[in-house]
Formats: sequence, C-alpha cells, structure tokens
Amino acid sequence: MTTSDQTTEIPFYSPQGNEESLFEHAYGNQLPVLLKGPTGSGKTRFIAHMAAQLNLPLYTVSCHDDLTASDLVGRYLIGDGQTVWNDGPLTRAVREGGICYLDEVVEARKDTTVVIHPLTDDRRILPIDRTGEILHAPDNFMLVVSYNPGYQSMMKGLKPSTRQRFISMSFNYLKPSQEQEVVEKETGIDAHMAKKLVAMANALRQLKDHDLEEGASTRLLVYTARLIKSGFDPVEACLAGLIEPLSDEEDVVSALMEVVYASFGK
Amino acid sequence: MEEHVGQIWDKLVTRLSDRSYKDSAVTLLDVSKPLGIFFRALGGDNALRIVESTATQHFAKRNWKHRVAGTGKYVELSWQDEDTLHLPKQINVFPDTDLNKDLYYWLAAINAHTLENPSAKARGLQGWFAYSQTITLEVLERFPGLQSRYDRLVGAYLQLRNIDEQFNEQEQSQEDAIAQALRKPGSLEQIPTSQYAPRPVLLWPHPNPPEVVDLSSRRAQPDKDVEGESTPSKPEESKKENKRRNAERVDMPDGKDGLILHRFESIFGFSEFLNINRSTEDDDEADQDKADNNADDMDFLSVARDNKTKGGKVKFDLDLPAESMDEVVLESDVFLPEWDYKKQIMQKDYCSVINYMHDTGESGELPENLRRTAKKLRHQLEALTTKRVWHRHQSEGSELDLDAYINYVGERYSGHKVEQPDLYQQLRSSERDLSCLLLADFSLSTDTWLSNEARIIDVIRDSLFLFSESLRNTGDQFSIYGFSSRNRGHIRFNTLKTFDEKYNGIVRSRIQAIKPGFYTRMGAAIRYAAAKLEQQDTQQRLLLILTDGKPNDLDRYEGRYGVEDTRRAIHEAKAKGLQTFCITIDDQGGEYLPHIFGTNGFTIIRKPEHLPQKLPILYANLTTNPS
Ligand SMILES: Nc1ncnc2c1ncn2[C@@H]1O[C@H](COP(=O)(O)OP(=O)(O)OP(=O)(O)O)[C@@H](O)[C@H]1O
Ligand SMILES: [Mg+2]
Repeated sequence: MTTSDQTTEIPFYSPQGNEESLFEHAYGNQLPVLLKGPTGSGKTRFIAHMAAQLNLPLYTVSCHDDLTASDLVGRYLIGDGQTVWNDGPLTRAVREGGICYLDEVVEARKDTTVVIHPLTDDRRILPIDRTGEILHAPDNFMLVVSYNPGYQSMMKGLKPSTRQRFISMSFNYLKPSQEQEVVEKETGIDAHMAKKLVAMANALRQLKDHDLEEGASTRLLVYTARLIKSGFDPVEACLAGLIEPLSDEEDVVSALMEVVYASFGK
Repeated sequence: MEEHVGQIWDKLVTRLSDRSYKDSAVTLLDVSKPLGIFFRALGGDNALRIVESTATQHFAKRNWKHRVAGTGKYVELSWQDEDTLHLPKQINVFPDTDLNKDLYYWLAAINAHTLENPSAKARGLQGWFAYSQTITLEVLERFPGLQSRYDRLVGAYLQLRNIDEQFNEQEQSQEDAIAQALRKPGSLEQIPTSQYAPRPVLLWPHPNPPEVVDLSSRRAQPDKDVEGESTPSKPEESKKENKRRNAERVDMPDGKDGLILHRFESIFGFSEFLNINRSTEDDDEADQDKADNNADDMDFLSVARDNKTKGGKVKFDLDLPAESMDEVVLESDVFLPEWDYKKQIMQKDYCSVINYMHDTGESGELPENLRRTAKKLRHQLEALTTKRVWHRHQSEGSELDLDAYINYVGERYSGHKVEQPDLYQQLRSSERDLSCLLLADFSLSTDTWLSNEARIIDVIRDSLFLFSESLRNTGDQFSIYGFSSRNRGHIRFNTLKTFDEKYNGIVRSRIQAIKPGFYTRMGAAIRYAAAKLEQQDTQQRLLLILTDGKPNDLDRYEGRYGVEDTRRAIHEAKAKGLQTFCITIDDQGGEYLPHIFGTNGFTIIRKPEHLPQKLPILYANLTTNPS
C-alpha cells in the first residue's frame, strides 16, 4: 500500500478525452469509478493526476491473489500485553476522506467484494465486523478500481454484480501525435526519435490478439526512450525494451525485430 | 527409349534456362510465420492467409533457351485478394540467401502498404510503372529502415536482370527506364512502349492481379459436408503440391453456378499485348506459343464445381435426418444479428435460432467403456480444483497456528517486539466461483469416420460424457449445448444440460442421443450461448467451444465472411466479460483461429481420439491459476 498526501506538484497527464471532467463529476456526485484498459495506458498516472488536482490524499492498493478483506479494512495487532486495532487503507480513506484506488481489483480474493459492495451503492457504508463499527463514508471519499480486461491468462473477470456498481472509463493508447508528446516530455528524447518509436509501437499494436497477447504499452515506450536517451544503441534498446517484453517465442521475437529494422535499418 | 531420351533432354534444357540459384533458395514455408507477423505489423490485413502464388503468364520476350524448354513463360509474383496474400512459393533469384529473404520481406512490406491515394493504382503498363514507383516511395518513407535493404536488393537485381539477354533498341530503352525507376523511384513518369511487354520486375507489385468474380457464389474449398461422404477427410489433399495457374472464376451466363470458367489472365491484360503478339506473323515465338497448346496451357478451362451440382443437391436433401418425435422445443424464433464485414455493418435480426431438447423420458447410463476413465478423471479434477489446504500464518482463522504462536511467544520473551503476528490457520478450498458453458459443434462433418469404430461425433459424445463426469464433484457450474445450422433461418441449438439442471440420467440420455446436424454457423451459436452464460453471476465465466472445422453454412457463410462474423461474436462475448476458448480437432486451425480467438485463445488436438481424456484436463488447466 502506498499513500500520497497532498502534494503541490500535479503529475503530468495528457488526456485522451473527457475523462478528467467525467471523473470530477463522479467525485462530485459520490459515484465510484472503474478504470479499464490495457497495461501501461496511463490509468495509474491518471489517478495520481486527479488526486492531486482535487487535492485529495490517495491510498493505492495493488491487489494480488492473497489480498483479503482484512488487508483492506484492518486488523488487530497484538502489542505489549494488549491488542490494538489498526485501520487498513480502505478504512483510513473512509475515515479521513480521500481516494482509495484498488489497482487490478480482479486479483483480490473473493471476500473483498463483501466490503466493496456496501460502499459502492447508495448506502456508502463500511461495516467493520471485528470492532462492531459501521462507518459512513464522507462526501470526499471516493472508491476507484482498475482492471485490465485483456489480461486473460488468469481467467478472471469481474462479477456483473460488482461491475455494475461503477461508472466505467475506458483507457487506450494515445493517438500517435499525443503519445509522441508524452514520450518526449517523460524522457526528454528528441522529437524525431520519439516519432519513430511511436510508429513502431503502433505497428506492434496491430499484432494484438492475432500474434501477441498485448501490444507495446506507453510504459514500454517510455522505458525504451530512456535507454536510448542515456546513450544505448537504439536497435538494442528496442529489443530489450519493446520486443522481448512482448514475447518469449524465439521466432516471434525475430519477426518483431524485422519490424524494428524496418524503422532503424539493418 | 525415345521417351527416356526425351526426358533427359527436357531436364537439360530446363536446367539451362532456369537461371536461378538452388542452394540459396528460400521457400515461403521457411519464412511464412515471421513474414506474416511482419506483414501484419506493417499494416497488412490481419485476416489474410499467406499462400503460394500461382504462376502468371507474362508475355515478355523469352530467350531461346526458355523457348526450347517451354519455361519462362510464367512468373510468380505477389498480390492479395480479399482473403489471401499470394507470395512466391520460393525465391531463388539471388546467389545469396539473405538477399532472397530480403526480397520476401520487401514484398510483404509493399503488400502491407495501402496507398495514400488508391486511385493511383491504375491498370495497364503505364499505370503499373507509375504505381510501382509510388508505392516504393511511400513504403520507404514510412519505414526508412528498409532503405538499405531496398538499395541492396536493387543493386543485386539489376546486375542479374540483364545477363544473357539481347535487346533491340526499343527494349533496351524500356530496360533503362525500369532500371532508373528502381534506382530512383519517382523519377520517371512513363515507360517507352515496345512490341513486347517488359519482363516482370520482381520488386514491384503484380501489374494485373487476378480478380475473383462474384465471391458470394464461390466456394473456397469443396464442401465435404454437402457430399456427406463417410470417409475420413484428407487434409493432405488441400496441401497438394500444385502450382495452379492464374484462374478466374466466371459465372455462367444463365447465372447458374454449376459450371465455372477458368480464364488464364495475362500479365497486363489481354488487350495490351496479346494482340500484338498475334499480329506479328513472322514472330517465331507466336508459333512456339501455339505449339505449347496442351490442356495445361489452355487459356480457357471449364471446371465443374464439386458441390452444388445437381447430384450433390439431391443427395443433400436425402441426407436430412427426420426431425425426431421426442424433440421438445424450448425456445424458437430467437432473432440474432450477424456481422457483414464487407459492408462493415451488423445485420439486425438476421439469424433465427431454435433451442430444443431431446426428451426420451428415459434415464441413460454412462457407457461401460468410459467408466474407468471417468473415475480416474473425476479424482484428478477434484484434486486440481477443490484442493482444501491449511493456510498458515493468517490474521484470522478457525484454529490457532501453533508454530506461529510458539515463535511469537519466543520472540516476545527474548525482547523482540513483533509487529503483526498472524497466529491463526484456516482450512480453505482454493477459491473457485466459476461457470462454464460448453458449446459443441454438431455439424455434418462430425459424421466423418476417424477409424473403423468411431466417427467424430462419437468422440464428441465421449468427450461430453467425460467432461460432465469430471466436473460433477468440483462444484463448478456448467452447462452443455450443441449446435448446427442450415441457412441463417435454421440454427439449431441442442440443449443437453442447463446450468440449473443436475447432471443425471436424463442428461446422459440426451448426450447419448446426439447426432450430426448440418452446417456450422458459429457466430449465431456463440451469440446465443453468450447470452445464456452472461446471466451467471460468478467471477469467472468461461465459454468453451468444441469444433472440428471452420465456420461455414450454405448462404455465403464461408471463407472470410464466416470467420469475421465469428470473430465479431467472440469480441462481443469478451466485451461482456466472458472468457472464451476454442478446442478444435482441425489440423488447419492454425490458419484462421488466431484471427478469431487470439493467439492464446485456442488449442488444436491433433489426435481426435485423445479429445475425451484431454478435454477435462484442459478445462482444469484453463480454470486454475498457475500460482
Ligand atoms: N496520458 C498520459 N499522460 C502522461 N503519461 C502517460 C500517459 N499515458 C501513459 N503515460 C506514461 O506511461 C506510463 C505508464 O502508465 P501507467 O502506469 O499509468 O499505466 P497503467 O494503465 O496504470 O498500467 P497497468 O495496468 O499496468 O497498471 C506512465 O508512467 C507515463 O510515463
Ligand atoms: Mg497501473
């Protein structure tokens, strides 16, 4: 779990559409939000940006398959001869106000839905069984969850009864000119190289579903640009930053390298 | 004896005239996988299959050796039509393997590129000359990394192109123009004309790609379903080493498609060069061409289509199994849409589904021969899916975790402050909250015999039995359906077990009663099944599709149309949060399944008789986390 308190600097975020205003309206109406989209498409960055914009503390929980309801709500700790209740991130956000962001929520254990459900309908309550408390969420509390629908290997999805409790926002990779700008801003690489990299990423994205499970993300593009910026050979940087992360099959990797050569020469 | 000498002479001259390099040859088979990926990445159409191109008659002047040998009249070029990308079967133009490979990649690149101004794709000699330069320029502009490869190819190609050739003045100026256009694409607008067509340029697109007339009446493959034969199909047949010549299918004037005319296209179309050839009486090549006049070289051929012929039709009608008396209709006139990829529209209420169930009123038994396997699989699945284990070091749980407690006490007495001792343990089953809908293909092709004992349908029946037997103790919810179709108006959906029913004797009797139906309108079946599965409120919802071949049906539901509609249906299902997976016994599945289900969305079982045992294991693998 990470918590970031009010910071003065607002993280850079380049919007894909109306998501900023939609998010503000959702916040203003106490509606929970679901972010979906492929990996590395800016979901985490968006939340960081919005939290700073709205001047709210952000409680981020990266969900994994061992994450239980008590990890969210809290538990008793045994101190020196006595037991002390310790709030989990969700409880803290509900008590103090702020955004609680459950990243990759499908990964969490089933019992987490028990605490999510009453918080995401108009009751907006968090019952804490262990202490017997029932917390009412203040207006400045917001629950945000994310998931990546393309991530199939785990064969998990959201139950419809969970899905239908959220305002949903879809993320995708930015259009080329905008993505180029993001790569330049994030890494300081020159425009010409950024353009080449974005063109290549878009070529690789065409292969999603047919040849690859996922296309090259903006995140990978940023990584690759960083390697090149610091003086690493561009073709080698593409191999390490863009190609190898996409496939483990040797012949696929060599085919993808042909795409790299088509941009950088051979 | 005479024949023998003749053969030796034949070989000798063919070798003489075939100016190519055998050792450095690269075949399409060697490169087709990476080439396909490269093609798609550069913008090529995902749905295209890559196939070996057919030879094209080029009408350029041939040198004496070619003429004596009867070779050199055809050349293999690249082009694409609406469901295939045609590339040469092998490239052995250069003495250097890498260059031959480079040529493949170059051809893939120009075919992947869509012209910014498609009207530039003019026909005829001048159109081809201008268009080839434009596309070269645009490809190099978009993928500047290809420039060095292109330069190497052009250098080597121009060196080889004119070895051994003698040109008259006109021809020489044509050759010069081509050389300049290759070296400096975009620098020449026109090519001088000559008596002959210029020889084809291997780096350029096909000047006059064969076009297919009236696709909707075309059958990509003879339809074994219609034939209703009961012999095992031979996939090798379709792969047969077979250099077809360019063919064009033409509808008969009366519009009936019983007969099809195949017309061999010339490289620049007839009008431009054929006439010139014919009118030159003193041209020895014209005579030579007439001498080549065997059936294989005939410019027109008529071929009867092997389905939809009268005989086939009658047989088909006779094959219709009578609808049985014990059929109970559960739901009928369910209208579903279908995707028309050519028009890019969803055709509303285009298909009609009838959902029925066999009700014999009897209770069925598990066939004797499956009992042992069923028992074994049941235990295996139970172990895999309902494993209950003690989760230690839990913050809460039904029992104290003694180990952890002793540790904790020890640490405390030794003065350590322990932040968060997890002192409990809990017996938990691995969490499962899952529904699976199994959808099996009952098309007529499942009537095919695999061995003396079993048809495909029998293997499917055994699979359904073992699947149900294996799942009954896992706690997973499952339902089983089968489907087949006959036109868009008759999609028959056979209910074997709903989610609400228990797996029992009644269900077994329904499984026992399954038989081959008609065609495979997969899109509609998937949409209907997805609507059922969608209603399950579980965390995982898996749509498992069991099939033996491509989507197909009578009314234009074949080839790319059927594939695209099925792909669309799968995307819709995924958008609803359903997981999809396809299990096929079609050897050739690799050609179209990635497009429909994604690279990791299917598996091919090469030995159909293994399907019954494999299905439950596959299911377990799909539904348990690797961790
Ligand atoms: N719209 C955007 N504006 C600014 N930066 C962006 C944008 N989209 C992506 N990025 C860059 O891409 C990186 C990855 O994005 P982020 O971590 O937000 O992805 P994500 O959608 O949360 O991925 P995952 O699903 O894997 O968690 C960011 O660190 C940032 O550099
Ligand atoms: Mg993230």
